[in-house]
Amino acid sequence: MKGGRGMGLLLPAMLLLLVAFVLPVGMLVPTSFRPYVPLVGITRGFTGGYYTRLVTDSYYLEIIGRTLALGLTVTLATLLMGYPLAFFLARTRSRWRNWLTLLVVFPLYLNLVVRTFGWIALLAQNGLVNQALQTLGVVQEPVKLLFNFAGLLIALTHIFLPFMVLVLIGPIQNIPRDVEDAARVLGASWGSTFLRVTLPLSMPGILSGSILVFVLTISALVTPRLLGGPTYQVMSTLIFDEFLQRLNWPAGSAAALLLTLMVLALVFLSGVLARRTGARA
Amino acid sequence: MNGAQPALRFSGLRKTFGAVVAVADVSLDAAPGEFLSLLGPSGCGKSTVLRMVAGLVEPDAGRIVLAGEDITAVPVHRRNLGLVFQSYALFPHMTVFENVAFGLRRRGVGEAALRPRVERMLELVRLGSLGARYPRELSGGQQQRVALGRALVTEPQVLLLDEPLSNLDALLRDEMRVELKRLQERLGTTMIFVTHDQAEALILSDRVVVMEAGRVEQVGRPEEVYRRPATPFVARFLGRANFFAGTVEKTDADAIVVAAEGGLSLVATARAGMAAGQRVQVAIRQESIRLGPAAGAVARPNRFAATVVFHAFAGQAHHYVVQLADGRELEVAAPGGAPALARGSRAVVEWAPEDVVLLPEGAGGGAR
Repeated sequence: MKGGRGMGLLLPAMLLLLVAFVLPVGMLVPTSFRPYVPLVGITRGFTGGYYTRLVTDSYYLEIIGRTLALGLTVTLATLLMGYPLAFFLARTRSRWRNWLTLLVVFPLYLNLVVRTFGWIALLAQNGLVNQALQTLGVVQEPVKLLFNFAGLLIALTHIFLPFMVLVLIGPIQNIPRDVEDAARVLGASWGSTFLRVTLPLSMPGILSGSILVFVLTISALVTPRLLGGPTYQVMSTLIFDEFLQRLNWPAGSAAALLLTLMVLALVFLSGVLARRTGARA
Repeated sequence: MNGAQPALRFSGLRKTFGAVVAVADVSLDAAPGEFLSLLGPSGCGKSTVLRMVAGLVEPDAGRIVLAGEDITAVPVHRRNLGLVFQSYALFPHMTVFENVAFGLRRRGVGEAALRPRVERMLELVRLGSLGARYPRELSGGQQQRVALGRALVTEPQVLLLDEPLSNLDALLRDEMRVELKRLQERLGTTMIFVTHDQAEALILSDRVVVMEAGRVEQVGRPEEVYRRPATPFVARFLGRANFFAGTVEKTDADAIVVAAEGGLSLVATARAGMAAGQRVQVAIRQESIRLGPAAGAVARPNRFAATVVFHAFAGQAHHYVVQLADGRELEVAAPGGAPALARGSRAVVEWAPEDVVLLPEGAGGGAR
């Protein structure tokens, strides 16, 4: 009885998931095994060639590796910058607290394209960042910050930082102050208390924030396209090009399915991890 | 108390939060091995005092001396104190064993020496077989015992307890009281116990410190604060009492006569510091009043005719409200074994002169 009512509540979301996720992704599967002949289109037949190419061809391997590396570094960067910020916002008693939180969220109100163009203006050869670096004498020649890893890292970190902070605030607020006080009274210094109590108890937030940012990063399209240009590819731009530039739907489907698989594997892995840490916290 | 160095002494402690004075000039000594309770209503500053001693709250003024050493400026983690929280504050991500071992590890106790000490402590708090469990797998009483063991295993000079029993249900609370008292007698640890529960304070303590509005109202042995409250606040806070406002009519060698408002004349045993004409509050505890069926008109001091207007049976006691001839109502608690008097029946009330508590008007800040 109780279970039945629970299922009823889940139904709308399940239906949406089915129509908007499971069915389209399912339709990609047969497409990804069909041979594509240039100028002819998708032909009848069966080939696993697009998958083999993805995992053997160094061009594609580099793109996959770059996507994963970008996901990891952006996650790490948002975590390193976001945790102290979230910690401050979770603990401060300042009456400015709500305004500060709003300030963190504020970039989300701006259109993504506008924000990305902002970064192009800042990171260009003669952009603000390079001008500042040269004026300060840090570098002689302009540093290349566009159409490479550094540019994507900077822009994506900026764009996804609010997500990390927002996800972290709640779990940090939920850590009872008494538990930290208990550690200190028992002889743990501030640093020791943080490492042994605060940080382990923040793990649920760190985990969910990291998954969110990682998934958002490896599937981001607009920012890598605009800041990476046509040549500096990540998986999402590769998929985009296969579908809409080269019209090679089978190749695009194979790449899309691989990306989906990577995301699902990550979500599953983190679920296991969360159960193991969450079981204790 | 025999002139030896106090285990803990704090003097002139003061703390304000913004415009609110949480603690105003509190000074106390705790003798080695003493069980001292800070008793008061919520917001009276008792927990703030405890947190200042622990080092979690910085006092605005005053000194804290632990076994002769001034620790006012010593950071929290270097004071050798134990603290038990109302919320238990166990580490949810550690096993019971690791919770108890935490303090020893921070003190650099090696693995070989640590294990037997933790296990002995777990035995002492009757958790011997639960070392591998996580706190969320334990009942409230068991969690409380983990918190006690965790605080005691480092052998602190003073153990501070902040309402440790308030989150337990009534039955378990009684059990833990006994356990706590036995533990204290066995280990000889000085304990400072914060509570708002007067029965708890009376049962457990060697001395009770009654606090109100950031000040100490009275310090004394449980019988002292109960039988001879120094201020109307203490009389009201500890047990239930009936109050009369009045004026001292005359004093002589063995009795003081007080004329209460409304015309009653009350007799108390003689005591120092009372003069004729002085305004006083008279308190008579509800269990000091003897209630009997109406009998012959024997004129005796503190004996009045009354009518029962309310009766309820509470197991250990009968609770009555009786009305005197002048319309004044008194609360009376009679032993539960006595036969009950029905509502509406005529009765007499009587109390002994030594049970009459006299409180000079305006004494202390608690006349409410």
